[in-house]
Formats: sequence, C-alpha cells, structure tokens
Amino acid sequence: MAPEPPLLGMNGITKSFPGVRALDGVDLDVQAGEVHCLLGQNGAGKSTLIKVLAGAHQPDTGTIRWRGEEVTLRSPIAAMRLGIATIYQELDLVEHLSVAENVHLGHEPTTAGFVVRGKAARVSTAQLLKRLGHPEIEPGRLVGELSAAQQQIVSMARALSHDVRLIVMDEPSAALDPDEVDNLFRIVGDLTAAGVAVVYISHRLEEIRRIGDRVTVLKDGRAVAGGLPAKSTPTRDVVAMMTGRNVEYVFPERPTQDATGGEPLLEVRGLARDGEFESLDLTVRPGEIVGLAGLVGSGRSEILETIYGARKPSAGQVLVAGRALKPGSVRAAVRAGLGLAPEERKAQALLMLESVTRNVSVSSMSRFSHGGWIDRAAELGAARAATRELSLRPDNPSVPVRTLSGGNQQKAVLARWLLRGCRVLLLDEPTRGVDVGARAELYAVVRRLADEGLAVLLVSSEVPEVLGLADRVLVLREGRVVHTAPARELDEHRVLDLVMEGSPAS
Amino acid sequence: MTQHASPPRDSTGKVQSADGAPAWRGLMARADVRTLSLLGVLAALIVIGGITKPDEFLDTRNLQLVLTQASVIGVVTVGMTFVIISGGIDLSVGAIVALASVWATTVATQEYGFAGILFTAVIVGVGCGLVNGVLIAYGGMVPFIATLAMLASARGLALQITDGKTQIVTIPSVLDLGERDAYVLGIPPLVMVFAVVTIIGWLVLNRTTFGRRSVAVGGNAEAARLAGIDVRRQRLYLYLLSGLCCGIAAFLLIILSGSGQNTNGNLYELDAIAAAIIGGTLLTGGRGTIVGSVLGVLIFTTITNIFALNNLQSDVQQIAKGAIIVAAVLVQRRTASTT
Amino acid sequence: MPELTSRRGLLFGTAAIGAGALLVGCTSNESSDEPAANDQPAADDKPGKEVTIGFAGPQADHGWLNAINDNAKSQAKKYSDVTLEITEGSNDTAAQIGQIETLINKKVDVLVVLPADGKALTQVGLKAMRAGIPVINLDRIFNTPQAYRCWIGGDNYGMGLNAGHYIGEKLKDKADAKVIELAGLDNLELTKQRTQGFDDALKNYPNIKKVARQAAEFTVESGQAKMAQLLQAQSKFDALWNHDDDQGVGALRAIEQAGRDDFLMVGGAGALSAFQAIKQDSGVLKATVLYPPTMAASAIDLARALGQGKGVGGMAEFEIPASITLYSAVVDKTNVDRYMSTGFK
Repeated sequence: MAPEPPLLGMNGITKSFPGVRALDGVDLDVQAGEVHCLLGQNGAGKSTLIKVLAGAHQPDTGTIRWRGEEVTLRSPIAAMRLGIATIYQELDLVEHLSVAENVHLGHEPTTAGFVVRGKAARVSTAQLLKRLGHPEIEPGRLVGELSAAQQQIVSMARALSHDVRLIVMDEPSAALDPDEVDNLFRIVGDLTAAGVAVVYISHRLEEIRRIGDRVTVLKDGRAVAGGLPAKSTPTRDVVAMMTGRNVEYVFPERPTQDATGGEPLLEVRGLARDGEFESLDLTVRPGEIVGLAGLVGSGRSEILETIYGARKPSAGQVLVAGRALKPGSVRAAVRAGLGLAPEERKAQALLMLESVTRNVSVSSMSRFSHGGWIDRAAELGAARAATRELSLRPDNPSVPVRTLSGGNQQKAVLARWLLRGCRVLLLDEPTRGVDVGARAELYAVVRRLADEGLAVLLVSSEVPEVLGLADRVLVLREGRVVHTAPARELDEHRVLDLVMEGSPAS
Repeated sequence: MTQHASPPRDSTGKVQSADGAPAWRGLMARADVRTLSLLGVLAALIVIGGITKPDEFLDTRNLQLVLTQASVIGVVTVGMTFVIISGGIDLSVGAIVALASVWATTVATQEYGFAGILFTAVIVGVGCGLVNGVLIAYGGMVPFIATLAMLASARGLALQITDGKTQIVTIPSVLDLGERDAYVLGIPPLVMVFAVVTIIGWLVLNRTTFGRRSVAVGGNAEAARLAGIDVRRQRLYLYLLSGLCCGIAAFLLIILSGSGQNTNGNLYELDAIAAAIIGGTLLTGGRGTIVGSVLGVLIFTTITNIFALNNLQSDVQQIAKGAIIVAAVLVQRRTASTT
Repeated sequence: MPELTSRRGLLFGTAAIGAGALLVGCTSNESSDEPAANDQPAADDKPGKEVTIGFAGPQADHGWLNAINDNAKSQAKKYSDVTLEITEGSNDTAAQIGQIETLINKKVDVLVVLPADGKALTQVGLKAMRAGIPVINLDRIFNTPQAYRCWIGGDNYGMGLNAGHYIGEKLKDKADAKVIELAGLDNLELTKQRTQGFDDALKNYPNIKKVARQAAEFTVESGQAKMAQLLQAQSKFDALWNHDDDQGVGALRAIEQAGRDDFLMVGGAGALSAFQAIKQDSGVLKATVLYPPTMAASAIDLARALGQGKGVGGMAEFEIPASITLYSAVVDKTNVDRYMSTGFK
C-alpha cells in the first residue's frame, strides 16, 4: 500500500527580496487533519512562507505539491480555489461593510451573475457564525463596530465560507482573551476532526503544547527543525532552536581589562515609559559594550529609542558625559554624540533610493557644506574613508544603498555615525537580516569601535550574540531588568531561563 | 538633476567619479533614461509641429511664445517639485497665484508702483506658504487637506478682494516687461525669470543641504528624523518655497496679462503635479528632478501650441493631454522596472 | 436715446436701455449714473403696494455676473415700495436650491432667479410657482415654462449673429477676407450657440472665411494665452470676434505684445473697458456685441410690476409677457456714449 501523500508538500522554497534572502530552502509538509505549528522569531521567514502558501508571493525556486500534484499558486485566488485559506494577523476585513458582506467578499451569492442575494449571504453567514460558536454576531452589522475578537471570528468565517482544506492562522490568539482562546481551540479541534489541516503560527509555546501535532521551527529563512512532535519536544530545545545558533561564531576577543576606568559616557537614570518598560538604570563607559537580552515584547527596542529621544520618556533622564539630554529630542541626542542603528534598518535608517555616500553623509551634512552649499568632493572623500574603515563592499560609495547586502547596509549605517563622530552607539538587533557569514565581520567592527573609545549599547534577541559580544549583560523581561552580570559569568541556558521565567533560579 | 538610483553600469572602479566629476560631465553621465525619454518626446513633438505647421511653428517668435507661456506654470512647477519630492503635495498653488495676483493689483497696491506690486505678490505667496507649512509641519495636518483648505480660502479671499472684477494694471514699468521691446537678445524677461528659477531650483536640489534634506524627508521621513534631521522645520520651509514660487509666478502672470483676476491660476495645481510626475518625480516622494519637471512643462506647453496652431479644439486637446499623462507614466514605469 | 420706448423698441429694441425701459408702467427716473441706466421717462414711478422680491443668483466670480447683482440691487433701491431679499451667490446647485426654498418659506411676493444651472433648478422653480409665488427666470432658462411666470434673458445665438453681420458688413468689399474666433468656455452650451450664430451670419458673405477658432475660459489669463497662439498661427487675417470682454482684456494684451494692428476686433458682453477702448478708437477693438447685465434691473422692474398687479407700459396687453429676449446690440464708436454707463467692470 502506497503511503498517502501529504496534503501539502513544500520543498526547497527560496524567496529573496532586494538585500535580504527571506526564505532559504524551506521544506514544510502538512498532513490532512493535523495542526502543524510554525515557530520562529520576527524576521525568521514565517510571514514570507505563509504568503507564498497563500499565493501572495511567488517563490524564486522550490516546488509546492498539493495532494501529491505539483501546483503553482499564481495568486491568492488560485490558492483559495485549491482550498487554502489564510487568516492574517493584520485582519484584512473591510470595516465599512457588514459581516455578511465581508464573509462573502469576492464570491457573493448572486442571481444571474451580478445581482447580490443579500439575504442568502446573511443566512449562510449566520450558519457559519453559529458553527464557530458566535451566534451573537449579527450578519448585518458593520465589521468596524465589532471587537477585535469578533473580527477574528468573522475572518475565520470568511475562510470557512470557501470549501477549505487547509487554514493558515497567523497568531490568531494574539488579540484574544483566555475564554476566547478556548473557543478558538475548540474550533480548531472541530476543523481537524473534519479532516481540515491547520497551519498554526504562535509565539506562545503553551498553546502549541495544547493543540499542536507537529512543529516546524524557522530561523533566518531556514527550517532548522521540521515535523518535531509538538507535545514531547522539551521547551528548552524549542527555544534554543528559535533563538540560538547552529553555527559557532567567532566573536572578537574582549579587552583583557574591564573598562571600569573613566567616567560613564552614557548614563540612564530611572528611565521609564508607561506600558513599555519600568524604571531603568544603566551606565556605559567608553570602550565598553553593554548588552540587553530579552524576547520580543520585553521592551528592548523601546528602551533604545527612548534613550535616543525618538520616544518621549514618562520619567527619568539620559546623560551623555554627565550632561542631561533634552528628553524626546533626537536632534539633542545626535548633537550630544548618540547614534542609533535601528532594528528596522530599511524603514528607520536607510534612504533606499539614495547612494551609499548620501546615506553616510546625511547626519553630517554641515561638515561638507558652506552656507548650505555642499562640497561634494569632500563629501565623497569622507564617505569613502568612513566606508573603507568598515570594509564596506563594494568599495564604491556611489552605488545605491539598496543594492548592498544586509551586512553592508548595516555598515553604511555605522559609517554614518562614525563620520558624525558619535561617542555612544545604540545597536538594535545589529545582525537582523545579515547573512551568517557576514556577522563575524560586523562583530569585529563593533568591538573595534568600542576599543577606539565608543560606548556601545547592544540589544539582541539572539542570546549568543549578546553573550559573545557584550562585556556586561542586562536581562530584560516584560520591561524590567531581572538580572545584571558580566557576560563571562552567564551562559545561554541561564539567560534563556531568566528570559522565559524571570526568576534567577537555574 | 537625475536619478541617483541607477548606478554607473561599468563601475569597475574607473567610473566612480559620478559624484565628484565636474558638473557638465556629471550631467552627461547621469542623464538617465527617463530624462532622455522626455527629451525624445519633446523632439518628436517638435518634428510633428515642424511638419504640420513649418512656417508658424519653426519660428523664433513661436519659440518665444512657447517659452513665455511655459514661464508662469513653470515657476509654480519648480516649487511643486520640491514639495512632491519631500513626500507632500500642494493643491493650493493655483489659488495662491490668484490671490497674490489680485492683491498685488488692487488700486491701493498699484499706488506703490512696480516695487509695490512685486513685493505684494511675493509676500502674499510666502504668507500663504507659511500658513500651509505651519499647518502641515506643526499642526500635524495631512498636506492634501491643509492645502485643499488653503485652495478654498485663497480663492474666496481673491474673490472678495476683486468682487469678481478684473483689475487692470496701469503701471507702465510693469506692463513694459511683457512687451517685445523688453526682450534682451531675443529673450523675453519672463523666460529669463523662469530660467533663473529653474537653475536656482536645480542648484538647491542637487547642491545644497536643503535639497538633500528634502529628498531624505520624502524618501524616508522616519529615517531622516532618526538621522537627526529636523523634519518638521524642513517641511515648513518646503511649503514656504512653494508659496514663494507662486508669488513669483503671480508677478509674471500680472506682467503677461496686464491684470489681476480672481480666476487666475485655474487648475495650476493639476498642471504642475502632472508636469512633475511626467518629469519623473515620484508622487510618494524621495525622488525627482527639476530638469524633468521643466521638460514636463515644456511638453505640455508645446502640445498646446501645436494644437492651437493646427486649430484643434479644446475637446481634442483635453483628450490628448490625458492620454499623454497615462502614456508617460506607463513608459516611466517600464524604464523603472528594467533598470 | 429718445424714441426707443416705442413698441418696436419694447420687443426688439436695444437691450440695455430698452429692457429697463419696457416697464413704463412702473419705472422711475432718478439718476443717470446707476448701472441700470434707465433714463426713460416713467409712466408710474409713484410708490405703490409694498413688494418683497427675493433674488437668488450664482456666485459673482466674473465681471458680468457681478454686474447682474449690482444692477438688481441698485434698481431695487430706486423704489421705496420694494424690499429686496438677496441671497449669498452660489455656484452649487444644492446650495442654491436651499436658498430659494428659504425665500419661498419667507413668503416673498416675487422671486427673481438666475440659476447656476437652469436645468437643475427647474424643480425649485416649479415649487415656487405652485406656492403661488411668481418667478422671474433670469437668463439661464428652466426646463419648462411652468417653472416661471416670465423669462428674461440674453440671446447668445443673436450675439454671434450680430457680431458676424457687423464684421461681414465691414469686410464685404474685401476679397478673400479671413476671420478668426476666440470663443468662450467650450463646456457651455452658450458658447456653442454664439459660434453657431456667428457662422450662420458669415454664410451671407461668401468672400469671408473663418480660418481659426480657439476656446478660452472667460478669464484674462486664458484670453491672453489663446490669443497669443492664434496670432502666431495666423500671420494675416482681417477680423476677430472675441466672445467675452473679460477674456478680451487678455486678448488685447496678447495683441499688443505681438505688436499686431492689422485687423479689426469685435468683443462681446459689454464691459466698461471695452467701451472705453471703442470710444478712444486707438486700438483694434472697434465694437462689442451686448449681452446686457441690465437685464437684472429689468427683472426687478418686472417683479415689481407683477407684485403690484400691473402690466408693462407701452404694450396693448394687460399682462406682462411670458418671455422677453433681449437684443444683442452692436456697440461701436457711433453709439458708445449712450451705453457707457451700462458697462461693467
């Protein structure tokens, strides 16, 4: 007896966007009637993968088999016709249309092909909602008037209004309270009992334990583990696969002496932002790299952006070389010598349409200008010097920054602050989207900058990166520092425990 | 002047002088596909004009006429290009031109002669730009809405000032600038102003920190802010600049028409936006060229001229104008996707 | 301007004066510098029954429309027995409907309406008539005669016709004469009517050919731009008809800038600046064809007569006519003085 082919088989899927390889040969197979969980950090490639599955992105290479037959998902409609429905995290409902209209959007029941039979749509919508355990949602109400949880149900009803064989749910529980999560799980159970496959994406490990059958873990666009048993794989292993390294990196050597001498260059006193992080104190001395470790949602990026003045603190102050900065002013921070390499490099740091030169010089234009006129030769020379110092490739600052690899784009951001003469460097996920091979070089650059007297504050969700690069580590959990120690006194497991549990017990 | 996004193809190390080369060579090296295609369109139009009406079209007087007609909207378009590059939009340019032109031609203003008219036109333009800028940069209003409100108010105020009447200019020194006697080496003064505004606009966009900041704000406002640029102040200046251009354009229009009328500047906003977009300025901001915009204006003016010389009627003219906008944008998209 | 109060004058006579003068039964004669310029002897200028007249017009964003408002106001001011309720002008059909309904609710005695769009305002005209308020429909005509008691307005076709005849007579001895036309806004039906009349008139003169036509937008700016192009396109022609004196300011500017004076120009509407130029006779503008804004003054007179239950003087009938089409007189150097006071700015 030949084995039943899986409902869905994705093989060697790759997908590149300019500057970053989002998927790098991912395999995923899903059986009918199972709940297959997809795990991975932000940027690991989960959303790209489900968009490929939904027909919204076309893969560069790789094959997709549907019930054993190779298929091409040219468009979301093609995927829907096969029976693949996707419920996105950002709900794609039309607020100004009614529940029934949303559910049947694009496949309205009609008479003679164009007269919409509103009543038929409302009746079938009511049946779907009842099946989903929410008969109280009226099909005639406007979606904009519903709560987030109810909108989620409508989105699910829309998926079920098609003849669906596989449903992708992208963090469906994020907007729900515990009761509603129970209902969601009941629905998932009903669906799988009826032979429908569910691809379930979540950060919450306990949910995966409850409803998952198998787990695939994505990291840096690769499936680092495929089809693990969801209920029996130890949490620590799963977390390690999500956050840890499967390659040993060469981290630069730390200076033999701790940078205890000298006045703190950056000093943060009682800094807080309501709902994001609580009273934070830290100091960074010249030559020192301080790391903040924590999971998504621990307030890491918010802390850096608040120090930088991009967010206004609700309490506390930031001092550079002993002088307090005007709170909530990026310009004051930059003038005092702060520089930020933000997490979302493309959205927050780079001018993607511009050359490397202009990206590097943008914060120091006054140095090459006289009365507003730019001395372009001096600008080019300075940009070239700064990028050469960081070994940015290609060695031609006139090329558009968007043609660079992720690592070189990051170097362009660092060159910007180098040129500006910045004294305190704030690095937010500095190796996000950077190829594995290029990371070691970036680490060396950061260490060298510190050795030259910069104070560096590093934020990363990759624990080995923080432990390998930083001199001192602050462990964050839900906006609070739960532990502070020299990096050499910590190891990955201990940090993971602190991050997950928040208690220093090992 | 050109698209910085297309790298020198043969960047083997020798051709990396693009940023530091002398101006004329930079101009040649970076005259990208888009600008060349616009020049091609203009050349094609000149051929069409030359074939259909050889005597009337290929004539010094006609060249003077086309450039003169392009001057007023051309100056407005230079300002608009800056605003669009920065990711904004200014729907009020036509209304500001109207308001500035009527305020500058009231009986009271005309008592102060040439200087009074010029000064008033410019001040009114800058004042309106200031209001736009403050509302957008510091009031947090969407540019579309803020400038739409300015459009309505400025038109209303212009109507109130004129009471619907045409205000005739009686200052000879102003009127004389529109006459043939004022041409220097065959160049009408209006065209000279247009040329100067274009050159200054080009220099400011490509050679100054102001231009860089405008591009940065339009390309990625958040990145610009985190790089330490005062995005709000930059926005304020940009709308001031647009208002200033409207004030200058209003003065040119006063010279050209010898009058001020509240209906002046009708639909300038659409003409200026269309010219800028055809010229390769991204409506989403971050990229654009002054040369492209000016070519866009010249293309439109030349089309109108050819149509008028061939006695085609307004219906045909409007249809053709729409078709050209669509065609130009499609061609651009194709060149953008292949480079 | 004496003999004009004849019956012929009433029906076909010169619009500017004639229209005001028709209503001999109720006109007054007070000042000569009022825009209405009605210097005719009046049969009945004694105060009669009190009449409240509601007046609704479009936004006065153009010289001619502004003159309409001025004429209506100053004519009403002449009568101690007339109260004028004038609305804020609006080009928005919905807004104008609202304003007229307000006037109906106020129970004015007579309505004078110059609609922004005649077809779109027909319903509200009907409503007023059904409410027993007679409506004087000014210029832009309603869809149905049921919507007004009396229509008074200009003659766009006649304007073109008279301009064509004037030019035709001037050029009739010239072989192969060339004529060009600077039309108004092409979106409007009235522009088409003016052009049609002009073309029809020129058919009577086989030696004349219309060689070019471009449409401006009733604005100085567009007049200058289009005229400059026409001058470049036509190196030699004998006459020009320009539909509108407002855009004519721009057209004259373009002619001056091009240094051309080898043709004769006829304008349209009857702006003061045009009258002055015709009187000076130093440029190309030799005549203009009237589209008289004094029709608003006449409309007030008609409304007052309706309100007081009187007829029109100088006519045998007891009742006011249902429709009065004004004559588009040609004003040239010979008669310009008479019209000077009616010119609008």
